[in-house]
Amino acid sequence: MKRSVLAAFLAVPAMAAAHHERGEYDSSKLVKLTGKIVESAYENPHSHMRLETKAEGATAGKTWNVVLAPLSRMKHRGLDQAALKPGTTATVEGYPNRGKPGELRAERITVNGKTVELR
Amino acid sequence: MTPVGALEASGLGQAMRQWEWLYPAVEIVHIVGIGLLFGSIAILDLRLLGFSRSISAKRLARHVLPWTAAAFLLIVPSGFMMFIAHASDLIASPVFVVKMCLIMGAALNAALFHTIVLPSVDVWDAEEMRKLGPPPSARVSAAVSLAIWVCVIACGRLLAYF
Repeated sequence: MKRSVLAAFLAVPAMAAAHHERGEYDSSKLVKLTGKIVESAYENPHSHMRLETKAEGATAGKTWNVVLAPLSRMKHRGLDQAALKPGTTATVEGYPNRGKPGELRAERITVNGKTVELR
Repeated sequence: MTPVGALEASGLGQAMRQWEWLYPAVEIVHIVGIGLLFGSIAILDLRLLGFSRSISAKRLARHVLPWTAAAFLLIVPSGFMMFIAHASDLIASPVFVVKMCLIMGAALNAALFHTIVLPSVDVWDAEEMRKLGPPPSARVSAAVSLAIWVCVIACGRLLAYF
C-alpha cells in the first residue's frame, strides 16, 4: 500500500520531466533572423513581437512570432520598451517551435547595436 | 468584442501584463494557495486511505478542512487574475479546459464525500473500530481526490508548455 502510493507520487514528476526533455523548441537548430519589428508587447510573463524578415529584393516578407523574456528581466538587462518600438530593426537568435511554424523563442536580441541575452 | 476579449482588455488584464511585479506576485500567491490546498487535502486523504489510524479521522477533518477552504481564498482570485491576463489564449487551450473540468470533478467528489462518507464517520472512527481502517467509500473518495488534484497541478504546470 505504502509503496504503491509512493510510486504514484514519483510517476508524475517523471512524466513531467519526460515532457520537458522533448522540448517545444528545437535546440539543435539555431536560427538567426534580422527584420523589422511590426508589433511588440512588452509584457509578463513573456514579451513577444512580430518580426518581418525580407530577403533582399523580395517584395513580400515572412513575419515571425518571436517569444522574448519576462519584462522585468529585459528591463534589468537594459532593454526597455522603447527599444522594441514598431519600425525598429532587430536581430534575434533563437530556436524554432517544433509544433508552431513561424514561432521562434529568442535566446538573444540585438537592437540599436546592443545585444541582450534573454535566458 | 467577445466577453473573454473584454476581460483580457480590462484594466486588470492590462495591469497583469504590464506591471513589472504584479504577475509574479500573483503567481506566488497562487503557489502558496496550492501548497495549502493540496497539503491539507493530502493529509486528510492519506488518513482516509488508512494511514495514521491513531489519529481520529473526524478530528483531523475538522482541523484540516477550514484550511482547505482558506486556501481557495488565495487560489481562486489569483487564478482568475492570471486567467484574465491571457483569457482568449487560455479559453482556447485544451489543457485549461481539462483543468477546469478536473476541478469540477474534485468539487463533485468532495460533495459526495460530505454526503456519503462523512455521515458514517462516528461508526468507523470510534476508538474500537479504528484499527479496521476506513470503509471502502472513504478510501475510494480519498484516492479519487488525490488523483484529481495531482492532475490539476499537472495541468496548471503544463499550461506553460502547450
